[in-house]
Amino acid sequence: MDRRKFLRFTAGGTVGAAAVSAVYMAPFHKEPQKGPQRVEIPTTCEMCVNKCSVIAVVENGIIHKLNPNPANPRSRSMVCARGNAGLQQVYDPARLKRPLIRAGARGEGKWKPATWDEAFDFAAQKLTAIKEKYGPQATIWSSTESFQETFFKSLGLAFGSPNVERHPTLCLASVNLAYSLTFGTVPAFDLANAKYIIMSGANRLESFITPDTMDLIESAMEKKARLVYLDPRFTVTASKADEWYPIKPGTDAAFILAMINVITAENRYDKEFVSTYTVGFEQLAEYVKPFTPEWAEVETEIKAKDIVRIAREFSDAAPRAVYYAGRRSSWYRDDFQMRRAQAILNAIVGSWDRQGGMVPNQKIALGEVSYLPWDDPTAPRIEDMDKNFPLAAKGDGAYLKMRENVLAGVPYPVKGWMVHKQDPMNALPEQAKTLRVIDQMDFIGVIDVQMSDTAWYADAIFPESTYLERQDPVEVLSGMVPVVVYRQAAIKPLHDTKTTLEISQGLAKRLNLSQYFDYTIDQWIDAEVKELPLEAPLDYLKKHGVWVPPGGPKYGSTLTLEHRFITKSGKIELYSERLQEAGYDPLPKYTTPLQPPSGQYRLILGRRAYFTQANTTNNPWLNQFCPDNQLWIHPNSARDAGIADGELVEVASTVGAVKLKAHVTQEIRPDCVFMLHGYGKKSKWQRLVAGKGGADAEILETAWDKVSGGGAFHETFVKVRKA
Amino acid sequence: MSGTRKNAIKSIITALVVCLVAIAALAATTTKGNEGKGKFYYKQDCKQCHVKGAPGGELTPLSKTQAQWKAFFAKGKHPGDNQPLLKVKDMDEEKLNDIYTFLYNHAVDSPQPETCGK
Repeated sequence: MDRRKFLRFTAGGTVGAAAVSAVYMAPFHKEPQKGPQRVEIPTTCEMCVNKCSVIAVVENGIIHKLNPNPANPRSRSMVCARGNAGLQQVYDPARLKRPLIRAGARGEGKWKPATWDEAFDFAAQKLTAIKEKYGPQATIWSSTESFQETFFKSLGLAFGSPNVERHPTLCLASVNLAYSLTFGTVPAFDLANAKYIIMSGANRLESFITPDTMDLIESAMEKKARLVYLDPRFTVTASKADEWYPIKPGTDAAFILAMINVITAENRYDKEFVSTYTVGFEQLAEYVKPFTPEWAEVETEIKAKDIVRIAREFSDAAPRAVYYAGRRSSWYRDDFQMRRAQAILNAIVGSWDRQGGMVPNQKIALGEVSYLPWDDPTAPRIEDMDKNFPLAAKGDGAYLKMRENVLAGVPYPVKGWMVHKQDPMNALPEQAKTLRVIDQMDFIGVIDVQMSDTAWYADAIFPESTYLERQDPVEVLSGMVPVVVYRQAAIKPLHDTKTTLEISQGLAKRLNLSQYFDYTIDQWIDAEVKELPLEAPLDYLKKHGVWVPPGGPKYGSTLTLEHRFITKSGKIELYSERLQEAGYDPLPKYTTPLQPPSGQYRLILGRRAYFTQANTTNNPWLNQFCPDNQLWIHPNSARDAGIADGELVEVASTVGAVKLKAHVTQEIRPDCVFMLHGYGKKSKWQRLVAGKGGADAEILETAWDKVSGGGAFHETFVKVRKA
Repeated sequence: MSGTRKNAIKSIITALVVCLVAIAALAATTTKGNEGKGKFYYKQDCKQCHVKGAPGGELTPLSKTQAQWKAFFAKGKHPGDNQPLLKVKDMDEEKLNDIYTFLYNHAVDSPQPETCGK
């Protein structure tokens, strides 16, 4: 190569880099405009589920910074890495800027820009054709929680489809169900005041940074609460815990049952609490007799003497003792049983509605726009919740069972798929099956802010305005201190995007369903705030972004003789008749998990606090901390497979194979491997992660929790070899 | 027509009417109604009198167990004034069934597992 060529190449490269940088930085270099120089607009974050309050600092029509809003006790003086990076969601040059209709084959990445009318007409025509030929039930409407999700759900139900699939069936379904069946509600955990905390795999100091995390740090570090942490990996939480046990995967229920065995046998339970507020203690005490610490030592690989000591310390610290429920997806097909065991353990030591224990959430009542809703769908849900998951939250569905039935065409064919704020290509395990579902569809419509992998395969894309460009309904965040949060636009939409309500209305008009959307967002909000005990609620919320009712956390409101828990017996159910009647175990069942065959490893998952599921890995401010995922593997296992640290490896299960670099570390059990989620994407518009690292969705096998139907993500055994 | 025959026919008709009324009452206690509509009708028709300070006293789905709601709707009357439920505003069988379904499905002992978001 001659010097001239070289210089041109380097200059081109520099110009290229400068061009990319200029594109990202362009909004910040605009000439100053006339108008308000600097305004601060309080709003609510949408970078994860926590919904922290933020204040957008807007200068000359450009958002320069997102600051904390200390008025909200749920977020206090924090805006985490993701919260700060929300700016990049708005100013992402590769975000969806106008409606798109597929021009080439699915997944080819060829798009035709469309007007909103064209996009709505096209989608409505396709959906109507499906309805006429197969019935409205031949459509799936899948969504993730959001302040505007209700409009999308309403559209699906009004259309006549019973198949609304919601994200909890890929997330907290087993926790929600286990605690609901025990206490009639899912409580909060008063970590700030707890004296003894046990966590199974809930990596709160690394996977998810919220004020709960700060409470945990304060409790553990400053107030000297004891933190016992069980995880096959040595995570950041493990490094700060008082005790860490690399528990054998899938045996947490054995650990908990053994704790209950010790506590009941040694009369360490809260007798008054148990006799006044619970039912089923006698059956429980009898049932746990075989689950001795010695038995549990064999199952869990945790020494019996430690299990005994922890059980004694836990009950001594009660009621300021909690076994933390966890905030994520199910791991195993028996996940529900483990969460039930947790709930029961916490109950028998009386850690309920008391400081430092589990505390039932308080709510705030909001008004609503009143209108006569649609007729019930005539067809049953495709996954027959009544038959397969009779106790689960029917409105959420059971996503993976649904997918099986769609592929089998039973009990009826499905030909349409509408998606809101979700990326099933990455959210569901066994991506090959998701691709087969996609092939079966006559129509796929996606509402999103970025070109997700699912959008990449869609027929019509409806670009949503980001949370910083939107007026949303008011929301209540229930909790120990409930709050009302407000989300208002910091800037007008940068591009030709709409809100989910507007998208739903646009489609409804063409589907003859407008009567169910006959309100503006302002009318919706007016109805919501009418019930609030404030003089001018909207003015207050616009100005402050959040309303916190006076009073602070309340303890003990359910600890009265008159209180009736929302359970069958009216009491806390250690023994559950409802479970028994539905054909399940009324007390937590334990099954020794299968072990990976020799030469294979269990694939386990977890999160880092930069990433919301598969959603934010392409955000440049977050991606820079973790540009690709690596396979964690123990040195012994690596040696057996002939793998060196940093080497490219192939990880294969029965359903797929991916390649990523190995991270050889002692910080994981030899029988497990670990990888992060949200890499190896197909969407070429997500340049930072397209084809980079590996997509766990490709190799995870399909499994679900038996009682809740929630996806179980730790049931896959993999082979690892040099790539 | 003879007197006894007239009486027999009358008895049969009465029996039929009783059966129909009983069937109607039974129909009002199924839980296959539309609970979404039931919630709307409940707010529109029942809540007027069933809030704090109002004549009927505060009443929400959580005020009764499923068995209690079932018994209440089987009777089909307001205990206070013996007023049939069907006589409330512009009530009809279908609306009543929808309201019953809503209240039954959200009773204080009903299985209503919590979820994230709405």
